[in-house]
Amino acid sequence: MHVSHSFLTWVAVILTIGIFSFLWKDNPFYKFCEHLFVGVSIGYLIAITWYNGVYPDLVTPLFRQGKPLYIIPLVLGLCFFCRFIPKVSWLIRFPMAFTIGWGMGVAIPATFQTMIIKQIQGTLLTPGIFARWDVLLWAIISFVGVICSVFYFFFSWEHKGALRLASETGIVYLMVGFGASFGYTVMARMSLLIGRLQFILRDWLGVIR
Amino acid sequence: MKRNIPLAICLGMGILMMVQFFVPHPISVGFYDLTTKWVRIVSAFAVVLGVGSFVMYHSEKLRRRRAGWLYSIVALVAAAVSTVVGLAWGVKQTGPLQSYIFTPLLVPLNSSMFAILAFYMASAAYRAFRARTRESALLLVAAFVVMIGMVPIGAHVPFFWFLVVMAVALLVAGFVTRSKALLIGTGALVVGLLVWPAFWKFKVPRLMLPDTAEWVLSVPNMAAKRAITFGVALGGIATALKVILGIERGWLGGGKQ
Amino acid sequence: MKFFQYLLKIDRRIIYIIMGVLVMLPLIRPLGLGVTSGPRAARLFHAVDSIPAGKTLLISVDFDPASMPELYPMLTALMRHAFAKDMKVLLCGLWPTGAGLAIKAATDIPPEYGKKYGEDVVYLGYKPGVDAVILGMGENIKNVYPNDYSGRPLDSLPMMRDVQRLRDIPMVVALSAGDPGYSDWLRYAQSRYGMKVGAGLTAVSAADAYPFLQSGQLTGLLAGMKGAAEYEILVQKNGYSKAYMPAVAAMDSQSLAHVVIMILVIIGNIAYFATRKRRS
Repeated sequence: MHVSHSFLTWVAVILTIGIFSFLWKDNPFYKFCEHLFVGVSIGYLIAITWYNGVYPDLVTPLFRQGKPLYIIPLVLGLCFFCRFIPKVSWLIRFPMAFTIGWGMGVAIPATFQTMIIKQIQGTLLTPGIFARWDVLLWAIISFVGVICSVFYFFFSWEHKGALRLASETGIVYLMVGFGASFGYTVMARMSLLIGRLQFILRDWLGVIR
Repeated sequence: MKRNIPLAICLGMGILMMVQFFVPHPISVGFYDLTTKWVRIVSAFAVVLGVGSFVMYHSEKLRRRRAGWLYSIVALVAAAVSTVVGLAWGVKQTGPLQSYIFTPLLVPLNSSMFAILAFYMASAAYRAFRARTRESALLLVAAFVVMIGMVPIGAHVPFFWFLVVMAVALLVAGFVTRSKALLIGTGALVVGLLVWPAFWKFKVPRLMLPDTAEWVLSVPNMAAKRAITFGVALGGIATALKVILGIERGWLGGGKQ
Repeated sequence: MKFFQYLLKIDRRIIYIIMGVLVMLPLIRPLGLGVTSGPRAARLFHAVDSIPAGKTLLISVDFDPASMPELYPMLTALMRHAFAKDMKVLLCGLWPTGAGLAIKAATDIPPEYGKKYGEDVVYLGYKPGVDAVILGMGENIKNVYPNDYSGRPLDSLPMMRDVQRLRDIPMVVALSAGDPGYSDWLRYAQSRYGMKVGAGLTAVSAADAYPFLQSGQLTGLLAGMKGAAEYEILVQKNGYSKAYMPAVAAMDSQSLAHVVIMILVIIGNIAYFATRKRRS
């Protein structure tokens, strides 16, 4: 065992223990760590946004390179500050309209292509699946699964008769899908704990190398 | 005017960007370049909303001495110090923002916040995850297959033995609850497992748990998630169209203005 | 019966302690279960491996310190693979809190292979705007990032002379902890610019990516810490790295944790049904 002499490592460990102390019960040390986290995150975000976003994209071209057209996004951006002045808070609608309209317009064809057309292409049964018996079987099972799962979410008609059969088959697929997601979620959460323990055992206590 | 002009801007930008996707003309590409730059700049300013709300909330709490107001001082001071350090010394790898703010503070705090979820997951799994219905039992079995199959220990577990463990668990549950249905189901499973070795005579390759997990993920899970993807995509496109056309106006905010 | 009722009412802190101890033990005394790579990780590995020397691999660092145990080992393994094959590595990010992790990797990994910042690796930094960033990079990277993360003009970096837009880059690997992430790269970089996209995801989002893998939109997938371990093993087995593999080292703990969760669920269900039967 070789305990670290680094002050910053000790700070990190103390903060880790502070957050973990919540597992026992809520306490002032945990609350301190929680508020410290929120504050530090905000400050870090401001610094990164300024140096990586605002300064190179706006300040440099507008004030250093003298490109006057950049006044328009500057004015739009400054409208965000109006949110905190009740009399002119309606001005925030302009930058929102610009970014939301732009984003929605760009997203529609891209989403259609990526999440609908390509996905339909992937679902279709093509001649290639007849190469092997297992590929054919899994392709048919997937095809049936996609159709039935989509039918489960179709609420415009009452689920009876053939629609009910399809819907109930869809539920089976959905339950398997959610079970798989749960299994993976367990893996994700455990990984995060293992990562923290690795830091404590390796970087602080030197128990593992 | 205060509502109509923003709605008109939203409509105009939405339609222009949708059309632009299909038009390779230089004017279209130039417009696309220009608006892309402007959107990046305007998006950067959106951080003001979050920061402003944070400052207002904690300042108000401090001013009115509400419960936990001392912690608001911690939050505000931490935000101020890290902002000053970041803006004054920059974001270089060797700078104080990286060395004294990010690595010793932000990393352990952020990581630990999510690491404690592992304990909650264990507690919730024990206390709340009940196989009350056939659907939830199916969910549970799929979860077990993926959980064990996707980690190294699963590589040492043939699917046959996983079924044996499930059968034993069902048997114990059946005896404990004295449920006939459970015993019948377990009996059928045990008979099936006894028949299974007959396949070994025909030299069928041993099916390992990771292969089963891979199949669960690639076939039924994939089908279910694809159906959900369709729903999400269609819902998203419908909402986007409603926003562009001004049918959905929630983003304008409330008020008489 | 009292035993089962006691089991149901057990203090959650006892479960926490059991969990903590059983996860910690294999880290100190490994079980030696070993790690083998799966087909999805192998697909991504071969896709990256087939990139010619001198070409650039783009890695999008779209995660924060909360997902570091799962995604940071993927980042370091990918970078080691790229450098061993004499590729250039271009890093960018859509998450602001990922900036510190990306610059750390861009500083720590290149010296292992004698690589230099500016010539073999560049970190562009974080940029707000997500879709605007990706679409802008598709036309001209320098329009989006006139400088790198530390403020150096891209024109002054030798590596960026041959990389003007996304079409100059054979592949992007998006290491994503959620949204924004790989789905934005698929929607904008692939649909508009035909870019090859690989993904390294937290296990939470991995199950949702299978439709994109099956349709061929994703070229390989690394799922969670296991995916990171698989890639580390592949990189080591092919002789590209001898570095410490944190994800591989964590796999024994991962295995034991999953078995414990499974046992807890089974015991909880048995106790529940036993007491429910009694009550009814």
